[in-house]
Amino acid sequence: MGLVALVVGLPFAGALIGIFAGRRAAPYLAVIPTGAALLISAWLAYAQAAAGPREATLTLVETGSVPISVSLGLDGLSALVGVLVTVVATAVQTYSIGYMRQEPRYASYAAFISLFTSAMLLVVHAADLLVLYVGWEVMGFCSYALIGHFWEDRANSRAAIKAFLVTRLGDVGFLFGIFVLGISAGSFRIGDVLAAVPAMSPGTLVAATLLLVAGVAGKSAQVPLHTWLPDAMAGPTPISALIHAATMVAAGIFIVARLYPAFVAAPPTLDLLAVLAALGMLGAALAALAADDLKRVLAYSTVSQLAYMAAGLAAGTRDGAVFHLLTHGAFKALLFLCAGAVIHAVGSNLMTDMGGLRRGLPVTFPAMTIGFAALMGLPPASGFFSKDVIIAVTEHTAGGEGAPLTIWIAWLVYGVALVTVAVTAAYSTRAWLRTFFGVRRPDLAAHEGPASMVVPIAVLAVPALLLGFAGLPFAGLRPDLPSSLLSVGASLAGAVVVWTAWRRDPESDPARVLGPLRPAAEQAFYVDRAYHALFVRPVAALARLTVRADDRVVDGAVRGSGRTAVGAGGLLRRLQAGNAQAYVTGVLAGVLIITVGVVVLR
Amino acid sequence: MHVVYPAVVAALLFSVGVYGVLARRNAILVLMSVELMLNAVNLNLVAFDVWLRDRLHGGQVLTLFVIVIAAAEVGVGLAIVLAVFRNRRTVDVDRLRDLGEPEPVGASPGEPEPVGGGPDGRAGDAA
Amino acid sequence: MIPVLLVTVPLLAAAGLLVPAARRVVRGYGLAVSGLVLGLSIALAATFDYARPAAVQAEVDVAWTPGLDLRFHLGVDGISLPLVVLTALLTALCFVYLAGRPSRRMRALTVALLVLEAGMLGTFVALDLLLFFVFFEVVLVPMYFVIAVWGGPGRRAAAVKFILYTLLGSAVLLLGLLLIWAQTGTLDMVDLARTHGSGMSRGAQILAFVAVAGGLAVKAPMWPLHTWLPDAHTEAPTVGSVLLAGVLLKMGTYGLARVAVPVLPQGAEAVAPWLGAFAVIGIVYGSLACLAQRDLKRMIAFSSVGHMGFVLLGFATLTPVGMNAALFGNVAHGLITGLLFFLAGGVKDRYGTSDMTRLGGGMLGRLPYLGSLLTFAAVASLGLPGLAGFWGEMLALLGAFSPGAGLSRPLYLVFMAIGGLGTVLTAAYFLVMLSRVTHGRPDARWRDARLPDVTGYELAAWSPLVALTLVIGLWPKSLLLVTDPAVRVLLGVVP
Repeated sequence: MGLVALVVGLPFAGALIGIFAGRRAAPYLAVIPTGAALLISAWLAYAQAAAGPREATLTLVETGSVPISVSLGLDGLSALVGVLVTVVATAVQTYSIGYMRQEPRYASYAAFISLFTSAMLLVVHAADLLVLYVGWEVMGFCSYALIGHFWEDRANSRAAIKAFLVTRLGDVGFLFGIFVLGISAGSFRIGDVLAAVPAMSPGTLVAATLLLVAGVAGKSAQVPLHTWLPDAMAGPTPISALIHAATMVAAGIFIVARLYPAFVAAPPTLDLLAVLAALGMLGAALAALAADDLKRVLAYSTVSQLAYMAAGLAAGTRDGAVFHLLTHGAFKALLFLCAGAVIHAVGSNLMTDMGGLRRGLPVTFPAMTIGFAALMGLPPASGFFSKDVIIAVTEHTAGGEGAPLTIWIAWLVYGVALVTVAVTAAYSTRAWLRTFFGVRRPDLAAHEGPASMVVPIAVLAVPALLLGFAGLPFAGLRPDLPSSLLSVGASLAGAVVVWTAWRRDPESDPARVLGPLRPAAEQAFYVDRAYHALFVRPVAALARLTVRADDRVVDGAVRGSGRTAVGAGGLLRRLQAGNAQAYVTGVLAGVLIITVGVVVLR
Repeated sequence: MHVVYPAVVAALLFSVGVYGVLARRNAILVLMSVELMLNAVNLNLVAFDVWLRDRLHGGQVLTLFVIVIAAAEVGVGLAIVLAVFRNRRTVDVDRLRDLGEPEPVGASPGEPEPVGGGPDGRAGDAA
Repeated sequence: MIPVLLVTVPLLAAAGLLVPAARRVVRGYGLAVSGLVLGLSIALAATFDYARPAAVQAEVDVAWTPGLDLRFHLGVDGISLPLVVLTALLTALCFVYLAGRPSRRMRALTVALLVLEAGMLGTFVALDLLLFFVFFEVVLVPMYFVIAVWGGPGRRAAAVKFILYTLLGSAVLLLGLLLIWAQTGTLDMVDLARTHGSGMSRGAQILAFVAVAGGLAVKAPMWPLHTWLPDAHTEAPTVGSVLLAGVLLKMGTYGLARVAVPVLPQGAEAVAPWLGAFAVIGIVYGSLACLAQRDLKRMIAFSSVGHMGFVLLGFATLTPVGMNAALFGNVAHGLITGLLFFLAGGVKDRYGTSDMTRLGGGMLGRLPYLGSLLTFAAVASLGLPGLAGFWGEMLALLGAFSPGAGLSRPLYLVFMAIGGLGTVLTAAYFLVMLSRVTHGRPDARWRDARLPDVTGYELAAWSPLVALTLVIGLWPKSLLLVTDPAVRVLLGVVP
C-alpha cells in the first residue's frame, strides 16, 4: 500500500519542489516523478491481478458525524486507470519539454501538470469518497491554472474561469450526492457505501445517483455542462491531451464505474444518463463536423466519445465503458499531441490554414491516421473493439436484456449511437483530409518537431493501434459480429459521404453536407448563448442590484436610524431656545402639574 | 385680622410677580417682578408666623434672610443687566438667546457624513 | 498562569509605552512584545493536554468582586486554544509587517495594537460571562482609533459607524447576559455549559438567546447587521483590516459557541432556523455583492460576510459536525482573509489604489510573487479542497444535510442547496477578480512606476499564513482533533 501512496505522492512532490525550483531543473522534475509513478503503477497493475483488491487507512478524521477515513485502495479498475493516467502524463510531460521550449513560465506549467497528475491519481486510488472529492476539485483547479497558462490574453483567462465554474457547479451536486451516500451508509468509505447499497431505499439511491450525475456531467463534459470543454482548447495543446482527453474528463466515467452497483440499483438515473448521452453524442459530433479549429473538432469529439462511455454505462456494461475509456485515452491523447505537432508546424489552429501536410510530417501523419482510424472505429485499431462493445450492449439492452433501461430510451440510445458512428467517421475523415491532403499553403515549410515531441507520439500510437486486442481474452470485450458489421458499415458510409464531397471541391469545407444544420452546428446549437443569457447576465444584474440594495436599503436603514436619532435630538433642541422666560414657564407648568396631581390624585 | 387677608394679598402680589417674570421683555422689569415675588413670600411668612404664634419666630427670621438675599441678588442682577446693556445696547430678554442651541446648518454635526466607498462609481472617487 | 500572562503582558507593555520617557519608541518594541506573547501562546499549546481537549486547562479562578459574585476566571479548552494561537500569530505578523513598512505615529499605533491584542486574547480565555463582555468591549476602542487615525479617506465615518453599531450590539448582548445571570444566578461559563440551561424556562431561554445571538451577530457579522463591515475594512489600514477580519469577527462566532448555544439549548433550537436563514442569505448576498465591487478591499470585506455565513450556518445546524465546521471555518477564515488583507494592503501600498479598474491587470507579469500569492489566497478563500477553507464549508453543508433534532429537515436542505450555490458564486467572484488583476497585460499607466515585488519583511509576515493554510487544509485532523471532543461536551452529545 505504500507503493500506492508513492504513486500519488511522487508527482505531488514533483509539483511542490517544481514551484520553487528554477527553470533548469523543471524538465527533470516534470518527467522523473511521473515516470517513476508510471513504473510503479505498471508493477502494481501486474501484481494486483494476482493478489486481488486491497486498501489501507492512514487515519480516521472525526468530524462530529460520519468520519472521514484517509485511505487509499487498489483494485483492477484503479490499477488500469492509474496506468493510463501515468502513461499519458509521462508522454505529455516529455512532449511539453519540446513544445514549450520557448516558454519562460515552463516551471510552473510543469508543476501544475504534476499536481494535476497527483490529484487524478488520488481520485483513482482513493478509498474514501471525500478524499476522492479532494482530488476531484484539485484537478479542476489545475485545469483552470493550465487553461489560463497564457494569461496575457484575457480570452484564455475567461475560458479558464468558465471551465472552473461549470465544473464547480457540477461538483456541488457531486458533493451533495456524496453526503447522501455517506449519511445513508454511515461511512464515506467506498467499500462501506457499496456494501450498504442493497439496504438503501430506492429514493435515496436515485437522489444520490442523480446528484452524482451532476458532477459527472460537469467533469466529463456531458450535456448540459459540456460548454466548457471546447473553450478549454485555449490552453496549450499538451494539456488538452492530458486533461481534456484522457484523464480529467474520464474521471466522471470512472466514478460511475466505481460506484456502479449504486447506479444499477437506480434505474431512473440510468435513464437520465442515457438520454443525456444520446443528446451529447450526436450534438457534439455534428458540432465537430462544422468546426474549423482542429482542436475544437477534437474537443467536440471528446464530448461525443465520453457520451459513448456514458451510454455504455447506462446500457449496463461497466467493463465496456472502461475499455473505451482506456482506448479513448490512448487515441485521443495521440490525436491531440499530433494536432499539437501540426499546429506547431503550421502556426495556426485553423484547418483552412492547413492542407497537404502529409509529406512534411513523416511521423505525425501515420500516427494521426491511426488515431483517426481508432476514432472512427475501423479495425484493427483499438477504437473498433471498444466502440463495438458499447454498440453491442446498447443493442442488447434495446432488446430487453442488460440494464433496467426504459425500452424506448434504450432504442433511442442504440439508434443515436449508430448515427453518431457515421457522423464521427464524417468529421474524422474531414479533419484528416483537410489537414493532410489538398494543396499546401505556398509559404509553409512544415517539419516535425524535436525528438521530445516525436517520441511520445510514436509511443502512444502503439496502444492506439493495438490496445483493442488486449480485450480479447475477456468474454465481454470481444467484437460481436452483427453489430460490428453494422457499425463499420455506418462508419464507412459517413467517411464516403465526406470523401465524395471533398473530392468534388477540395478547396471548400466538406461540412457543407450538413446543409441547413451547418450554422447551428457551428455555434454548437447556441447553447453557449443561451447560458449567457439565462445565467451570466441575470447574475451580473443581480449582483449590481445587491450592491445598490445594500447601500440604499440595508445601510440606508442604518444611516436612517442615525438620522432619526439626530432628528429626535433636533426636536428636543427646540426646547433650548435660549429664552430664559420660556424655561421658567416650563418650570411653572411642571410645578402646577405636580401639585395638581398630588392634590387631586391623593 | 384673619390670616386669609394677608395670604390673599400675598398670592395676588405673587401672581403679579409671576406675570412680570414670564411676560415682560425688559430685564429690569423682570428683576423687579422677582422682587415682587420675594416680597409676597415675605408677607406670607410674617402673616403665618403671627397666625401660628411661632415661639421661635421662624417666619420672621426667614423673612430677614429673604430680604438680605433679595438685596444681594438684585445688586448682582442689576450689575449683570448693566454689563449686558453696555455690550449689547439692549436689555430685551427675548433678544438675549446665546444659551440656546443654534439651528443646524445642512448636516448636523453629530451625523456621519455620507460614506465614501458606496457601489461602483463612488469607490473609485474615494480611492 | 499563562492566560493571565497572555492578557497582562500586552497591557503592561502598552502602558510602558505611555510614559513620557518612551518618546522615541525602540524599533522592534511591538515586535518583541507580540513575539513574546506568541511564544506564550505556543507554550500554552505545547502544554495543553490533547488527550482531554474538552476539559478546561491552564485555569485561573480567583474572586474578583465578591459582593456581586463576579470571578476572574480564565482558562482554555479545545475550542479556544486554536483561536488564542491564531490571535497571537496574527498580531505578531502585523508587527513584522509594520517593521518592514513603518507607519506614522508608530508609538500610538503600537499602544493601540497591544491593547487590542490584550482584549482579543482576553475574550478567548475568559470563562466568566461579564469578564468575557469586558474584554469584548475593550477591543472596540483601540480599533476605533486605528481606523479613525490611520485609515483611508472615509475613515471618520467608517470608524464612527463601526463603533456605534458594535456598541449597540454589545448593549443587547449585555442585556442577554444579565438575563442569564438573573435567571440562573451564576456567571460562570463552565457551570452554565454543564447545566445546559436547566435553570431557565423556555421563554426566558429564547429571549436570552435572541439578545445574546443578536448582539454577537452584529460582530459576526450576520446579514442584515453587516453594513458596518465593508466601510470599516475598506478604510482601515492594513494591520487594522487584518486584525478586524482575522480576529474580531471570530469573537462574535466564538461567543455563539461558548455562550449562546451550550447555555441556552432550547433558545437555540427555537431560533436556529432564523439564524440559518440569515446565514445563507448572507452567503449569497455577500457573493453577489462581491461580483459587483470595484474596490479590492471592499470585495474582500464582502467575502468575509459570505464566509461567516458558512460559520453561522454551521452553528445553526446545532450538530457536532456543524459546530466543528464553524470553529474550523473560523480559524481558516482568520488565516486566509488575514493573508488576503495583507496582500491587498501590499497592492495598495505599491499602486496607491485598490480600485481594480485603475490597477489594470498583468500583476503576474509585473509582480509575479505578489500575483502568485494573491492567486493562492484567492483560491484558498474560494474553498478549494487541500486548503484550509474547504473543510469548514464542506462540514457546514454536511451539518445542514442532517441537522439537529427538532429542526426542520426540508428547510435545512434548502439552506444546504443555497449554500452550495454560494460556493459557486464565491468561486466566480474570486476568479473574476484574479482575471482582472493578475491576468492580461500590465496597464500602460504603471509602466514607469517603481513597483518592487515582495520584500523580505512581507515574506516573513505572510509565509506562516501560507504554510498554515496548506497544513490545515491537507491535515484537517490537526484542528478537528482538538475541537471535536470539546464540541461534543458543549452540545451535551455523548460521544
